[in-house]
Amino acid sequence: MIIRGVFSMTIINRLKSLFKGDNEETDINNDVSNTSDDVQVTSSQIESEPVVAEEEPVVEVEEATVEESEDSSEDLASDDIEPIEEKVEALKEEIHEKVEAKKEEIQEKVETIKEEIHEKVEAELDAEEADEDSKNNDKERDKMTLLTDKELLTDANRDPDFTAEFIDSGIETVKHCFQCGTCSGSCPSGRRTPYKVRQIVRKCLLGLKEEVITDDALWMCTTCYTCQERCLRSVKIVEIIKKARNIAAHAGYMAKPHKMTGVFVMNTGHGVPINDATKALRAKIGLPEIPPTTHAYPEALEEVQKICKITGFDELIGYDEATGGLKE
Amino acid sequence: MEGASCCPAPGVFGSFDEETWATIAARNLTLAEDIGADIMTECNGCFGSLFECNHMLKESEEKKAEINANLAEIGREYKGTINVKHFAQILRDDVGFEKLASLIEKPLDLNVAVHYGCHFLKPTATIGIEDNAENPSILDDLVEITGAKSIDYKDKMMCCGAGGGLRSRDLDVTTSFTKEKLDHMTEAGVDAIVNVCPFCHLQFDQGQIEVNERYGTDFALPVFHLAQLYGLAMGLSAEELTFDAQRIDATPAIKKALGE
Repeated sequence: MIIRGVFSMTIINRLKSLFKGDNEETDINNDVSNTSDDVQVTSSQIESEPVVAEEEPVVEVEEATVEESEDSSEDLASDDIEPIEEKVEALKEEIHEKVEAKKEEIQEKVETIKEEIHEKVEAELDAEEADEDSKNNDKERDKMTLLTDKELLTDANRDPDFTAEFIDSGIETVKHCFQCGTCSGSCPSGRRTPYKVRQIVRKCLLGLKEEVITDDALWMCTTCYTCQERCLRSVKIVEIIKKARNIAAHAGYMAKPHKMTGVFVMNTGHGVPINDATKALRAKIGLPEIPPTTHAYPEALEEVQKICKITGFDELIGYDEATGGLKE
Repeated sequence: MEGASCCPAPGVFGSFDEETWATIAARNLTLAEDIGADIMTECNGCFGSLFECNHMLKESEEKKAEINANLAEIGREYKGTINVKHFAQILRDDVGFEKLASLIEKPLDLNVAVHYGCHFLKPTATIGIEDNAENPSILDDLVEITGAKSIDYKDKMMCCGAGGGLRSRDLDVTTSFTKEKLDHMTEAGVDAIVNVCPFCHLQFDQGQIEVNERYGTDFALPVFHLAQLYGLAMGLSAEELTFDAQRIDATPAIKKALGE
């Protein structure tokens, strides 16, 4: 486009030297220069190579047009000066119009290209974001490590008192784990749930209390002991899980069905109280309807209920003595 | 044992508050101490709670003092004078194979999948029943004395899925355990399942219905407690053994077993 501006000035200069003095030259020159400047400014805003490349053919076409008008100017010069001046004026106007039209055309193209570039950049950004997302998902799936780029654990994340609770309750073997993963590899729950026993043992040793007790997966262990039987370091893994659950329960993480089992024991002395069907079945095979347990001895039931108050179990599960159910 | 309560359930109570679990279990132990008798359980869960608590209080003076402080408030004291034994352990070690064989009236023609359950032989560090927890034989030997055959199957030692408070908390996960076991038992071509734990028993009987509902399967493997299998071989009727109270119809298996 710079080329085009310079080129326009060349036409004017040549016409001027034929027909006119220097007075009008300045005006025309300014006019054309402004135009070229405008175009230049617009083009510099794009700063895009393809734009310049696309413009090149336009320059060639323009040259051809100018050559034609040059010939006609020479022809006119041999005739009359007055009509030539008029024609020069007409040509000047024509050139001006063409320049203006080109300016508009270029601006339109510039706008189109700007939009295209914008769209391409947006698309690229989207693609980058999507790529980043999938990388994050990969990290989410990879639970084999406690450390990811996102969350770097420091001493601030650790609660030494949490680790001490395991040691103090006699599970010193938590310190013996060398993270071989035999436990997780043997775990029937780990095959079907997010329960990762090796990771929980590590977290307990590191003191990552919140991570351990807020994780629902902690409750996916059936206490089958396969991990503990196979542990190369004789770590009391099931004891660790049960201790972690104790701490979780005391921090308020306890499922309602579990609290209800506690309620049954407090009300009857049995986690699975007798029902009419069982009473009938017992009678049918010659047993007393009611077994000689807390079901038959109220004073025995009172002992169980008193134990639950002494240890604070009633408060732990939120037992409501008035209703014989849960407070909530 | 008059005045006994829930053992209490190891997976639930043991998971919530060890002190409550141990105190209630120790109270049950004192009832046996009062009458000077060992405790026999026919349930792996009760065995787990009562044996483990008894073992813990015998081993640790500190724990014993802590639990006795609680028991004192209900006028009781744990002394550590009795043992807790499993029904199958008593059959093998106290009654003996020879005596058992002499009691069989109707040798059973039945192929069974033996399910050991988890709180019977494990944790081996404390339980002390003579066997190999990874590849045991006690139940298979007891089953074969009745004439029935114990058929090996894939992942035989796997858990039924009910324990640890999982059945009450997340039935879907529990059911997926049971489905896997039922798949493997069925592949082995057995007529019935034999177990030594009412909770495993419930899980294979009631749980089998739940598996069929969830997975669109048509499993129909009747479930026998070892005591029921012995009862059948000793001449008791299906009604006396309360098979009619179970969800999966055991009639075809019983007929086959008795050659009817």
